[in-house]
Amino acid sequence: MNRGRILLFATLRDYTGSRSLEMEIPAGTTVAVLTEMLIKAHPRLEKVRTSMMTAINREYARDEQVIPENAEIAFFPPVSGG
Amino acid sequence: MDSPTYLALTQDAISPDDLIARITTPGTGAVVLFTGIVRGITTHGETRQTSHLDYEAYSPMAEEKMKQICVEIRERWSAVEGIAIAQRIGQLDAGTITTVIACSAGHRDSGVFEAARYGIDRLKEIVPIWKKETGPDGASWVEGHYHPAAGE
Repeated sequence: MNRGRILLFATLRDYTGSRSLEMEIPAGTTVAVLTEMLIKAHPRLEKVRTSMMTAINREYARDEQVIPENAEIAFFPPVSGG
Repeated sequence: MDSPTYLALTQDAISPDDLIARITTPGTGAVVLFTGIVRGITTHGETRQTSHLDYEAYSPMAEEKMKQICVEIRERWSAVEGIAIAQRIGQLDAGTITTVIACSAGHRDSGVFEAARYGIDRLKEIVPIWKKETGPDGASWVEGHYHPAAGE
């Protein structure tokens, strides 16, 4: 078990009311599973389920990617800089 | 060939002159600079007014992705010498410079126009920055459409 910190930005921060969350992340948890855990804990995220993206250690992640221990995890909507 | 790179994610006003100076080398004969501005009136589609935009960034990743864009530009346009990428964050009123992408080269026909264009397009695709737009009807997040591939 790994207590992980998840960073949230833009709409996801508004929907959860937090800039960052702590969650228990069992060993072997994939990005897809963590996404489900996050939506379960914060049902308002359901409406951005298909658009939200995940970065692990500051790199765009795949759904099937296993979260490494002590990873920096971030969830956010498609970017809109410029 | 000198190849200066300057990246900035800043709360402060961006100076195009300063960025040009930073990427001008003894061999520079051309600089192409794109700047984004907070648009006060949008006439594309339904006309609407914008009083300001609030920008936020996932700073450490944004800095990594700005570096990556420089690598991608240099892989594609070997004649590009210097590259500057600056993005301002915080509350920016209509008419304010939000971003600057500038590329320098010896000559204008070296791909330097395309390189700057590529730079701003990639910034809007992969650099984790978001903006919330405030107008007469309230505030709402502007959402992009691009979904980067894993590792992109």
